[in-house]
Amino acid sequence: MVQVSEHTLSNGMKILIHEDHDVPNVAFYLFFKVGSRNERPGVTGISHFFEHMMFNGAKKYGPKQFDIQMEKAGGRNNAYTSRDVTVYTDWFPRSALELMFDMEADRIRDLSFDPKIVESERGVVSSERRTSVDNSPFGVLFEQLNATAYVAHPYQWPVIGWASDIESWTMDDLKAHYRMGYAPNNCVAVVSGDVTPAEVLALAKKYLEPIPRQEPPPPVRTVEPPQLGERRVEVRRPANLPMLMLSYHIGAARDPDFPVYEVIETLLTGGRSARLHQRLVEKEQLVLNVGGGVRPSLDPGQFLFNFQVRSGRQPAEVEKALYEELDRLSRETVPAEELQKSRNQILAGFYRQLKTIAGKANLVGSYEVFSGSWNQVNEAPARIEKVTAADVQRVAAKVFAPRNRTVATLIPEQRAEVKP
Amino acid sequence: MKLLLPTLLVSASVLMPAQVRLPEFTREQLPNGAVLLMLPRHDVPLVSVRAVFRGGAESEPPGKNGIAAITAELMRRGAGKRSAARIDLDLDFLGAELSAGANRQSAFFALEFLSRTAPEAMAILGDILAAPAFPEDEVRKVLAQAADRVRAAKDNPGMAVGRYFNGLFYPAGHPYRHSGAADEISVARLSREEILTYYRRMATGKNLILIAVGDFNPASFAALARRAASSLPPGAAFQTPQAGELRFERPRLLLVDKPDATQTYFRIGMPGIHRRHPDRVALLVANTLFGGRFTSLLNDTLRVNAGLTYGANSILELDRLPGAIAINSYTPTATTAKAIDLALDVLRRFATSGATAEQLESARAYIKGNFPTERLETSDQLCSALADLELFGLDRSDIDSFFPQLDSLTVESLNAAIRRHFTESNLQFCLVGNASAIEKDVAKYAVARKVVSVKSEGFVPPEI
Repeated sequence: MVQVSEHTLSNGMKILIHEDHDVPNVAFYLFFKVGSRNERPGVTGISHFFEHMMFNGAKKYGPKQFDIQMEKAGGRNNAYTSRDVTVYTDWFPRSALELMFDMEADRIRDLSFDPKIVESERGVVSSERRTSVDNSPFGVLFEQLNATAYVAHPYQWPVIGWASDIESWTMDDLKAHYRMGYAPNNCVAVVSGDVTPAEVLALAKKYLEPIPRQEPPPPVRTVEPPQLGERRVEVRRPANLPMLMLSYHIGAARDPDFPVYEVIETLLTGGRSARLHQRLVEKEQLVLNVGGGVRPSLDPGQFLFNFQVRSGRQPAEVEKALYEELDRLSRETVPAEELQKSRNQILAGFYRQLKTIAGKANLVGSYEVFSGSWNQVNEAPARIEKVTAADVQRVAAKVFAPRNRTVATLIPEQRAEVKP
Repeated sequence: MKLLLPTLLVSASVLMPAQVRLPEFTREQLPNGAVLLMLPRHDVPLVSVRAVFRGGAESEPPGKNGIAAITAELMRRGAGKRSAARIDLDLDFLGAELSAGANRQSAFFALEFLSRTAPEAMAILGDILAAPAFPEDEVRKVLAQAADRVRAAKDNPGMAVGRYFNGLFYPAGHPYRHSGAADEISVARLSREEILTYYRRMATGKNLILIAVGDFNPASFAALARRAASSLPPGAAFQTPQAGELRFERPRLLLVDKPDATQTYFRIGMPGIHRRHPDRVALLVANTLFGGRFTSLLNDTLRVNAGLTYGANSILELDRLPGAIAINSYTPTATTAKAIDLALDVLRRFATSGATAEQLESARAYIKGNFPTERLETSDQLCSALADLELFGLDRSDIDSFFPQLDSLTVESLNAAIRRHFTESNLQFCLVGNASAIEKDVAKYAVARKVVSVKSEGFVPPEI
């Protein structure tokens, strides 16, 4: 059982505290419910860019000071942006607890916007895009897959943003994004580690509670319309090996079938005994590895598959074998023993996430944001236990219908036709 | 609370724990020479087990690079009465995870399982260690997969640059030239026969270190662990090779041509130290300041101030034999020389001026603050820490005296170590990028240089 002490400040910010005194350290995670789903064409990627700007100076702690002060106090930080959230992750010895509250409050309330720093950070993000997308076969193909799988909803654009948008967003765009996303009432803060709830709450009241409440981001109105038939997209570029990716539309994190998606994910891709690994990697040797699965999302998400195709094999061969396996899942009942294996794997994976104070902070915050309550953490194993073979069959038939899929293939070309 | 502290203790670093200690563990030598280390702890119902065979890249016959990792992978593909598929299925049913591989000085199996499944999981591990079958079809499959992994690595310049760097930096015959990674050439040379011979030579009791950390009862678990380890023959203990000092007479540059790359990935190296070197603690501090954290000189200059890259860092290799100190970054093709010039400028200033007392204080606090969650928090981290002690012939004082050693480091001794090891002369440059666009700009770094195509076989350049 994960024990959490839960509090809501008068400005609406939620504080979740988990005590763990194994190491003299603390993980402090701030989840802002703003991500690329809250963007629009022309400013795609701004949530992620903003994540970078949060390290570039505020009123009390000027440029570079957040990192300088934190590292000097023995801490380290990072942050990540997804389609749904922007999360700031701080890891530090307990002696730096008050400093971190002071610095987080400073940048949430009083971030500064220096035009010179904005320009330099634009270069940093362009380089990040070049590395994670342009110079990575996986990155390029994944971007094209999503742009094809979604025609209306904001999940169609990449979290890092289109290159042209990274080049052109303005200071006003940035300020508007800050006002929209960084309201205290739009934030869940999780503190996990060598702390007591009383001391954390006192610091939260002192530093975070005075930040005034604001309007949260407007709701995302666009609902992705049902897909009416298979969609396909091709990427041609120099490469040694082909790659194949597929996307099927599924529900959001709060879809009651989400535990069923997780069981199906494990049956197909969890561990080396998984159906797809055994058939595609071991028996038919069509691919080097099998990736994919489901991730909780605020709006309806995707069941993804990705494969690094072996040399001399064709993506079409992989597709054929994959479709047979997906079909089998909806036609035949999963044997009881195989279902039990999946449950065991999910349960062990759950414990693995509880090994570190950082893992617990992330898990507690994610459940609060995506499932509506941190306490769902403790119900996760029971929810998986309840999934039946009939559930698997029913959901597989619905999700893996051919008309619900998008297929992306990377076809190696010998000559470089890509312009830098 | 704060009021009770003497007023001198104002900086955060002073408030940090003055000491960290490795938790108590037991060490026992089995009749066949294997060493068994056990450390029980009960935070989550999981057990981490590490089976480590001394050797790794250092034990690979010439031209057979990759054999250590491939042998480890094959050991799990059919052992005792179980086929490869059966082992996969049985481990997954237990919710266990197993990874097998090799590094510069060892081959390893990292197994993690739910505590209540210990007897089953340890029985499987025992078979993998002592009774692998090396089925012919699995050997063929694994070798073909290894060849395709090399092809996939060459599609990702960020992955490939490290391998090309090793090929440039370490001389012919040095075990770190390939660092245990296979390439197209070595894979074509490997056979089942050779793998079997290698297994018999290296998988011996005298080479085995078996480590368990996690939620178990020491008495009953020890019986399982002894059983898993003791079916190996004692064999001969691996004699570690010696290697001459790394010394470069002149700067050299290897440019790997990948015409479609839109960024240049670069690594610039100089000779460094080994794991037991007396300058290790000083260089951990130096590396933290130079390129080991976000506010380091390299990242601050190239990323934060200039916006030329998403990241710039430095690598301090700490293996049994002396390794490299290397600058590592990437930048758009058009700014290649600009970024490298800036990095070299940072190196020049650091090598000549060293660090200030304030920088030393900050780096010390950073290392101490991060140490508990990086090295001592999880059972797998503790397995790694214990494996290091055995592999490098260290005792628990390596960890227990780490903070006191950091505390006693003075700015004078830090700067003396920086002067001994950081140098701007005879640097070794490895670049992966669009050669036709950058070749002229980077010619100034070294007279001795070569351009090779990413399509040519292997990762070792012709002599430069």
